[in-house]
Amino acid sequence: MAALNEVQVHAPDVSAARSLAALAIAEVRRIEAKYSRYRADSVVSRINAAAGGAPVTVDEETAKLLDYVDACFRQSRGRFDPTSGVLRRAWRFEPGASIPGLRELRPLLAAIGWHRVERTPDTVRLPLAGMELDFGGFGKEYAVDRAATVLREAGAASAIVNLAGDLAVLGPHPDGSPWRIGVQHPRKRQVALAALPVSCGALATSGDYERYLEADGVRHCHVLDPRTGRPARGFQSVTVHAPSCLVAGSASTIAMLLGRDAGLSWLESLELPYFAVLEDGIIVDRFRSGP
Amino acid sequence: MAATEDAEEGRRPRAPLAALTQAALALPIVLASARAGAAQVGEVGFAALGYKERGLIKVTEPVLWGRLQVDDVWEFEASGALDIVTGASPELVTNLPGTPVQSVTGASINDRRRTAQLRAKRRFGDFSLSVSRAVSNEEDYHSHAFAIQGEADLDQHRTTLAIGLGKSNDRVGSSIDPALDERRDTREYLAGVTQVLSPLAVVQSTLTVTRGKGWFNDPYKSTLTFYPDEILPVLFADRRPDHRNAVAWLTRYRRHFPGASGTLQADYRLFRDDWGIRAHTLELAWQQDLGERWSIRPALRYYTQGAADFYSPVVPRPRPEVLSSDQRLGAFGGLSPSLRLVLRLENGLTVEGTAGYVHDAASLRLGGGGSEAFTTLRAVYGILSLSRAF
Amino acid sequence: MRASLAVLALLAAAACTPVAPYQRGYLARPDMAMEPAQAGTAKALEKTYSAKEAAFGGASVGGGGCGCN
Repeated sequence: MAALNEVQVHAPDVSAARSLAALAIAEVRRIEAKYSRYRADSVVSRINAAAGGAPVTVDEETAKLLDYVDACFRQSRGRFDPTSGVLRRAWRFEPGASIPGLRELRPLLAAIGWHRVERTPDTVRLPLAGMELDFGGFGKEYAVDRAATVLREAGAASAIVNLAGDLAVLGPHPDGSPWRIGVQHPRKRQVALAALPVSCGALATSGDYERYLEADGVRHCHVLDPRTGRPARGFQSVTVHAPSCLVAGSASTIAMLLGRDAGLSWLESLELPYFAVLEDGIIVDRFRSGP
Repeated sequence: MAATEDAEEGRRPRAPLAALTQAALALPIVLASARAGAAQVGEVGFAALGYKERGLIKVTEPVLWGRLQVDDVWEFEASGALDIVTGASPELVTNLPGTPVQSVTGASINDRRRTAQLRAKRRFGDFSLSVSRAVSNEEDYHSHAFAIQGEADLDQHRTTLAIGLGKSNDRVGSSIDPALDERRDTREYLAGVTQVLSPLAVVQSTLTVTRGKGWFNDPYKSTLTFYPDEILPVLFADRRPDHRNAVAWLTRYRRHFPGASGTLQADYRLFRDDWGIRAHTLELAWQQDLGERWSIRPALRYYTQGAADFYSPVVPRPRPEVLSSDQRLGAFGGLSPSLRLVLRLENGLTVEGTAGYVHDAASLRLGGGGSEAFTTLRAVYGILSLSRAF
Repeated sequence: MRASLAVLALLAAAACTPVAPYQRGYLARPDMAMEPAQAGTAKALEKTYSAKEAAFGGASVGGGGCGCN
């Protein structure tokens, strides 16, 4: 997690605030270590290394997290797929990189399919060598929720955990006023498009501006559709407010993967407040006048 | 590929948030309760009505209601009301003073009416079906009603079609005549369409056909007529046809004006029945936002009705088969201004106060020709309503 | 009859502009609902007027009768 991450806590004194913040940060680091693709000893790396081989035993936290991911896979009709990380090998979001064609994508698409992953209550097995599990689509949001939970259990009532825009708010400022959360302008860095008042709950944003390639005036972003291998179109960004960051993050990611009309329909069906910027720049503010 | 995608979209389950939340709850995380903007599960409410007619009737009516949504698929509604009517009701129309007038016999009434309603509604994707049951009981009147209604959302919820069937079985008695025990059975048929016209406007039009058979007479009313050429007057007890078929056509229009932060609400109802009554109801209201929590709604309602064929304040000669001098079947018009104030709080509490004035008179009838025996009605009412969404 | 023709004209002439799902914000306002008053207020109002008038009926069925005397 290389972006700006912060924990803000209101507490009776500075040392109390520091120790609460430390608790939250420790929990974030724990989850990062446990599910990072970049660490050879993480749960994810062990599962990926055993692809095509024997099932890997996982603990309850991992099993329940994968249950959640399974629910997202179902609700998104297969678009939210944690095995789609292999597309990374064809899509490099760096200057000078080219748009992959069908020849590069086809072998990768053959290694994608959450429905093929074999699970029992305490094991996971990727049936094909080359298949990969990637927690990047929900790991950060889970870390936010866990950090917020440890803060709440430690007695914090007014705090915010923010991991690069995916955040959870425990309660308003001590004077009762809500935290004002800026929605990043999808096309202008350092500019906020709107300031949303949030007293509790979580906010997560999915956007096409974090990593992308631009060719012929068309933006190809890092949110990739596992069925075609191509980037999602229709939104510049989607921000959702939900009781947990996991739900907010999945909701916004699934909206982007569904495209404009189906995505908006999906967001409406959730009946959660949301803020979306469409591909053509139109803003849909359903944050205050929500259902 | 596009066609199959669309087909898949249409079959997406109706409870995605519930599915995700349930899976998230299994994890060791504590879900915050999001703001009031998130999905509601239900509401409970209480209202009280006070109504006073000039010197005549006073009604207080506490109403309790509740609504509960289960699983995003089922919705249950229940409500109960208690009417407490005190005062006196006009029972006799006599022309002894020369021209026909209503007279109250002096007996005061203290009536209690209990009503209860239950409704269950189930969603099947874009369709929904609801069944309801209502009962109403007072000392001299008992009613059971049953209804079933179906709705279909078309064109991505821009058009909604509704069809309904209802059946009502009433038993009429009399507190002054214990031997009276008559039935009245009614069937109702409803068809309606709601159409979104633009992001700012929506219209609904509903047609209801009612067919009733049975006892429609009012057991407490009669007409006493003196003729200049006869010594003895004629007393005719209220007697109405044994059937009543009616059509009501209600159209409602809502248009929001974002610049003014207000909404125009217009309702029009056309009514005709085979008793010869033609009536129009028009209500215009403007609901104005005053900040985030308050809104105010001034409204004006106009009502006009023509008399029933068998309405007459005097008994004609020769004596007819059916006759009623109940001025509610006469020709008159009514103007009713009202004002409502609404307070909505973030925690889901809503407080609503409505005050209104009712003025019914023969002179207000559209096009003139109001019944000359019509006694002008002047009444005020106040309603206070509280509800809590959760 | 003229009143009913006017209503039909309103419905026919109402230019139905396309409404995308994301434009439904205003339509969800409470004062845009067909019944903008709370359930208790609405019941009380209906009873108040129908007890003094011959016309009845509206947007729902199965409400039961009334021995309004």
